[in-house]
Amino acid sequence: MSSRAGSSNPEYVNARVRSRRGALFDDDDYRKMLRMGPAEIARYLEESPAYEEEINALGSRFSGVDLIEYALNRSLADDFNDILDWCQGRLYDLVARYLRQFDAWNVKTVLRGLYADADRETVDVDLIRAGEFDERRLTRLLDAATIEDVVEVLSDTIFGDPLEAAYEEYEETGVLVPLENAVDRAYYGRLSTQDLRGEALVEYREFLEAEIDFRNAINALRLARSGADIDPAEYFIDGGTLFSAADLRGLVGSPDELADRIRESRYGEELSTPLSTLDEGTSLIAFERAMEASLLEYADSLGRIHPVSVTPVVSYILAKQREVENIRAIARGKEAGLSEDEIEDELVIL
Amino acid sequence: MAEDVKPTRKNLMEIEDRIDLSERGHDTLEQKRDGLIMEFMDILDQAQDVRDDVETNYEVAQSKINKARAMEGDVAVRGAAAALKEHPEITSQSKNIMGVVVPQIESSKVRKDLDERGYGLLGSSARIDEAADAYEELLESIILAAEVETAMKKMLTEIETTKRRVNALEFKLLPDLRENQEFIEQKLEEQEREEIFRLKKIKAKKEEEEKLEAEEAREEAELGEQKVTADD
Repeated sequence: MSSRAGSSNPEYVNARVRSRRGALFDDDDYRKMLRMGPAEIARYLEESPAYEEEINALGSRFSGVDLIEYALNRSLADDFNDILDWCQGRLYDLVARYLRQFDAWNVKTVLRGLYADADRETVDVDLIRAGEFDERRLTRLLDAATIEDVVEVLSDTIFGDPLEAAYEEYEETGVLVPLENAVDRAYYGRLSTQDLRGEALVEYREFLEAEIDFRNAINALRLARSGADIDPAEYFIDGGTLFSAADLRGLVGSPDELADRIRESRYGEELSTPLSTLDEGTSLIAFERAMEASLLEYADSLGRIHPVSVTPVVSYILAKQREVENIRAIARGKEAGLSEDEIEDELVIL
Repeated sequence: MAEDVKPTRKNLMEIEDRIDLSERGHDTLEQKRDGLIMEFMDILDQAQDVRDDVETNYEVAQSKINKARAMEGDVAVRGAAAALKEHPEITSQSKNIMGVVVPQIESSKVRKDLDERGYGLLGSSARIDEAADAYEELLESIILAAEVETAMKKMLTEIETTKRRVNALEFKLLPDLRENQEFIEQKLEEQEREEIFRLKKIKAKKEEEEKLEAEEAREEAELGEQKVTADD
């Protein structure tokens, strides 16, 4: 399931992706939407070719901001499915390893649905069909009656072995944490950068390393803030350049040293401002947002360095994800009565 | 009411005993009322602080969850919430404040560590952590508010009851008893005066009778002397 026959076809995929990238919303669109209410945003999306079909398809089932959120998720899924369909050979492997985050999302959604006794339809609408799982596997997951069945359905996927190993701990503790961590760890494990060699993949590797480094850094800060007696190594993701598991264990107890380590790293320049505001008790959200912005900026530059490689595709995937997140933030923010300034603060716009 | 009481010394003594008891009861209840009011004022201050905390924490929690829903999506936030089945436990005991039984609410498992919230750390974000933190803090302040506000309401009810009792003693029972006491005392004084008057009357009558008897005796004696003189 993790490879596709044929030779890599970045020229073709990049050409298709470039046209889609041109249709993404720009700052002006966000500014317009910031002045609209949720219903107007839904109408605005209906007039946009990227979301028209999804809004019309879901309009009879959902309304308000739920309609917007489900339409955005479906558009994201359709877009990424198209990209996976276009990709061949090595390119498919490179793109699929990144898009498996949606498989991980879907597995966790099914697990949570079963755990919380949610009905099948509720779980079904929350799935984002943007990963590698085909409809048949998703149906089998939705049909699973127990968590053990889910583990069984996934036995031939990258999530199979980690889930099976974590199932015993789940049975002992009765909480989903070991299963969820196993799913996420399986995803990040396959994101591994060791096989990314060659000049064209340097930036992609650096980008994935940055994502893993940022995830490790934010998780270390979350652990440090929580004060819980948790071994940071349990949550360490291999593949980054900034920390080793042993480093992280020591740094969690000393957030200042952790901040210094990030400041002295190659990410220091971009993250120095949010790091300086990261005093005891200050929200981590601003720091998390700064890391997301930094990652997006990095991804944006990827597309220009090696135009005929996987990087423009990944750059588009991130840009599309960010667009969906920004529109959802505006719509949900409007629904919650947040001011334009508050919403604008939450948006990550390049 | 006073007319219903028999004006006897026994009743007077009984009423005097009741007045004494009621006055002591009145003083005790007044002290209880004042004590309760002082306790109530302390609890009121605490309740206002707790209420302010609840309002502040609610606003913070709403803002955090709104931002989490905006940035992570409603589906992600609902999913994170669904990953936890264990509910906080609340046990209620009682404590006594000046005779008023108020609840003492103990809660456990409200605050949770990152690894107890059900959702995985690797696939979630600080936004969800902070929303969960804010709601845990809100829940704690709601539990404290429930304890303090229930105590405050119970204290208020007890103060009202004690005030009514003090007022009933002060403005109804004690005045009635004192009226009865006065009535009986007046009646008893009246009876005493009548008795004295009656005794005086009897005494005067007796003296008159004695006087008459003495006169009669003297007249008889004079008649006897005259008879002896004639025979001579």
